[in-house]
Amino acid sequence: MTSRTGLLPLFALLLASWPIPASAQSKQAVSITPVQSLSFGLLLPGLREAVSVTDVSRRAVVALAGDGPVDVALVLPSAMETATGERIPLRFAASDAALLTTSGTTLSVLDPLQVNRVQLGNDRTVLLVLGGTAVTSATTRPGHYTARVALLVNHPGT
Amino acid sequence: MNRSIRLIAALGMLALPSIVKAQSITGSIAASADIATVFSFGAPSPLNFGSITPGTAASASGYIPLSRNIGVIYSLPDGPTTGLLTGPAAATLQPAYTCGVGTTNSAITSAFASCNTSGNQLTLGAPTGTTTEFVIFNGSLTAGQTNIAPGTYSGTIRVTATGN
Repeated sequence: MTSRTGLLPLFALLLASWPIPASAQSKQAVSITPVQSLSFGLLLPGLREAVSVTDVSRRAVVALAGDGPVDVALVLPSAMETATGERIPLRFAASDAALLTTSGTTLSVLDPLQVNRVQLGNDRTVLLVLGGTAVTSATTRPGHYTARVALLVNHPGT
Repeated sequence: MNRSIRLIAALGMLALPSIVKAQSITGSIAASADIATVFSFGAPSPLNFGSITPGTAASASGYIPLSRNIGVIYSLPDGPTTGLLTGPAAATLQPAYTCGVGTTNSAITSAFASCNTSGNQLTLGAPTGTTTEFVIFNGSLTAGQTNIAPGTYSGTIRVTATGN
């Protein structure tokens, strides 16, 4: 009996940890695949240029695949910059992101400024699309401007 | 009993790595834009000396606008014959010019050193933003020059702008 009593902590540890692998297996299945960059193209100084989520050639597209609910957060840059540090400010509105099926049907509008709960299922790929607005000024210098949008996908509760 | 302990320990070890496994993934998306170079001439306003009474002086001004957001090198490719007027029987008339660039179409703020010499250039830096400036030519004819055969005298002032 004494030795069985000694097993209790091990049983407790095992039982406490047992549910984790089941959920962990589904959490590991999520993947992020960048498909298309957010491309504003050739801009003239002094004009705002908006890329809508419906602009199939210029919006950003990222493929998400996996199972279960995930929290998707975007770390949005405040500006695009040249190698020499010149900037074009970027603006993102609450309707500048959406979740689509691979055939282009809108599943939901996402707020890129918030954390969005997304339901992935059956290992089916969904597309996160992102638009935005570039605000050039009359003093914006000619050149190539770039930025990076970071995408964070977390399982709820982790 | 030892066998049971080993089994439980093994199961526990299988379970434990999942507890500490990171459950977030990250990706990134590029965003880009290109700002166009603005560099174009607008519609010129010609110099017109008008109808001149022979033996009297005359003057005229003209300009051509250039919009740009980069630096520029202006040159006058015709050198000594810039703005030479040709009239009846190939008679020529060479006005005296002052020339340069202004922020308005009437006042020169950056002048060419000479308007009628070869290899003459005027270099201006990039503006802080897109700007429109004016390449201005002011021409004059002395009274002695206009005492010539009647007729129409015309010519072309060629200005070359090279992005810099």
